Amino acid sequence: MLKTLYTIFGIGVVSLYTVAAMLGWEISGGSRHQLPPDARQNGYRSFHFWHYGLHGGK
Amino acid sequence: MSVLVANCPSCGAPVEFKSGQSIVVICEYCRSAVARTDRELKDLGKVAELVETGSPLDVGVRGKWKDVPFELTGRAQLGHEMGGQWDEWYATFANGWLGWLAEAQGRFYITFQYPIPEGVQVAPFDQLHLGQTVHGLPWPTPLIVAETGRATALGAKGEIPYLLTPGETYYYADLSGVDGAFGTLDYNQSPPLVFLGQQVTLADLGITTTRAPEKEERRVGAAQLSCPNCAGPLELRAPDKTERVTCPNCNSLLDVNQGQLQFLKALEKPWFQPLIPLGTEGQVPEGKMMVIGAMARSVTIEGTQYFWGEYLLYQPQIGFRWLVHSDNHWNYVRAVPPGEISESTKSASYQGKRYRIFQDAQARVECVLGEFYWKVEAGEQVRGVDYVKPPYMLSKEVSTVYVTDPRDAARTKRATGEINWSLGTYVEVPQIEKAFSVSGLPRPSGVAPNQPYKHWWIYKFWLAFIVLTLIVGFIAFVVSGSTKQVFTQTVTLPPLPNEDGTQVFFSEPFQLEGRRNIRVVGESPVQNTWVYLEGDLINDETGVVQSFPIDISYYQGVEDGESWSEGGQKDSAYTSSMPGGRYVLRLEGQWERWQQPAVVTVTIEQNVAHGFNLLIALIVLSIGPVIMLIYHVGFERRRWSESMFGGGDDSDDDDD
Repeated sequence: MLKTLYTIFGIGVVSLYTVAAMLGWEISGGSRHQLPPDARQNGYRSFHFWHYGLHGGK
Repeated sequence: MSVLVANCPSCGAPVEFKSGQSIVVICEYCRSAVARTDRELKDLGKVAELVETGSPLDVGVRGKWKDVPFELTGRAQLGHEMGGQWDEWYATFANGWLGWLAEAQGRFYITFQYPIPEGVQVAPFDQLHLGQTVHGLPWPTPLIVAETGRATALGAKGEIPYLLTPGETYYYADLSGVDGAFGTLDYNQSPPLVFLGQQVTLADLGITTTRAPEKEERRVGAAQLSCPNCAGPLELRAPDKTERVTCPNCNSLLDVNQGQLQFLKALEKPWFQPLIPLGTEGQVPEGKMMVIGAMARSVTIEGTQYFWGEYLLYQPQIGFRWLVHSDNHWNYVRAVPPGEISESTKSASYQGKRYRIFQDAQARVECVLGEFYWKVEAGEQVRGVDYVKPPYMLSKEVSTVYVTDPRDAARTKRATGEINWSLGTYVEVPQIEKAFSVSGLPRPSGVAPNQPYKHWWIYKFWLAFIVLTLIVGFIAFVVSGSTKQVFTQTVTLPPLPNEDGTQVFFSEPFQLEGRRNIRVVGESPVQNTWVYLEGDLINDETGVVQSFPIDISYYQGVEDGESWSEGGQKDSAYTSSMPGGRYVLRLEGQWERWQQPAVVTVTIEQNVAHGFNLLIALIVLSIGPVIMLIYHVGFERRRWSESMFGGGDDSDDDDD
């Protein structure tokens, strides 16, 4: 039972690492967002947008 | 072809010497031992009737040893001074050899007489001790003394190659060596006669046709007898081998002699109840065997008495084996030749494996039930030494008794005895239950001396996964190619409007490739101050934003005459790959010296070799094995806490 569990777990970890290596995944502290469509149309370079618009600001 | 045909000097019946090497022939009619001299035949006296030992051999049986045919031409039955008997068969070979085939407890040993090499003095009998190596014998490997004793010629049949005198006694020492080597020193004369050879099977001897089928049938069957004390029915399951039996009706201890029962003494009501009833048949690794006896034994260590149970298994074709039940752990035990084991102070070696000493104590028989092949009784003591290498346990039992030679007028006591080695293999309780069709056997709670640690596999699996992960990492590194710089720019950010203010920079668009990780490196020539940048990679086409922090701080100084530094003028952030496309870098900075501008060089690279994922994968894979390692250490500590020799910190056992 334990043998099967560890085998499945190990294969999972190695597979995940393989996929990460193939696709360039990294474990990082940064977050990923999506700019609202109107922000891209209206320009997103304003201080106001970054501090009060995007997800409530930073 | 007969060498000599004459008449028995006792009864006148014809006697025939078929072999020129035969000295004595037993008259088939009157059982007289008839010796031939250079002038006449001489009657040496009558031999006793042979005890039925259940031997598969008989006079006239033919075989082949080292490609030389032989025929069993004689048989002598010898009595042991501690009771019981064994057979010696004489094999006359076609090339003139004369072999001695000893048979005891279902085992066979073929030996040939060797002259003692010139200049070699074999120790006299009274200077031999058990376990001693006998030097100077013409044998390639060392031989140790495994048994000493006195034999008495009881009965005989056929032709005997020496002057067998009925009732004559002589001292002997049995020797044992590696690869089944076996020998006997026969102290019937001085210097002793030396017989050397090895343990064999009937197949080794090319013996396929053994004794008559009706005898064979009788041999394997049980004997129905009556107890001489209470007249209750009593079944002997190994009638040919049993020396002692307890009556299941009145609990008397009975001596078995040639199928006759003799009352020895009444035993107390047995407090020991076998977990596997006597008479139960079970499927053990070597075949089907029956439990014919059980006993409780004990050792006393530091004032505490520890008990365990032993079950004697028997099957005519296999011989005797044991099941040992201790602290609800079970072992399947078989005898091994003493000469196969080399022993040092704290360890013993057998078949290339080293066993560590675990216990050395005096073991005592407390209670007996059923049949035994030696004259056992409560109170019998042996020195028992256990060596372990899970799942095996090598046990030595040294039994020494002091006997008096009836011919010795001074009645001097002399030590005699034997060394028995056995190899136990740990068996799980469910296997015992299945093999003997019993249920509800108690489960063990502690760790047995030779209980194998079950989870060795995890270290092998762990190693396999680690190697696999490293291989994947290496392949990924080779396949992905070199690091590519996609953007670099030195930016001078103007002074901040106030201490809490920020300055923002947007780069010109640049291209990022998909499926490639990203590293952003920020550098600033800071000295004893800091610059903090909030970065964003913004996909100009899709609006995907990846944020990352860059924290540059560098401090240095001299304290107590020693220079020190902390941090660096460079910091980097890794992010996962982003969809391929056109990106803009946004940096929003703050720094300590806000009244001054900040100079920052930002570099963006892709396809960067980064070991962090690999490290995480290795750590995650190691969590399970580390937990199991902690458990393993505790397991070994519990095992060795029961040993009088302790020190179980290096676990060298196997799982297979």
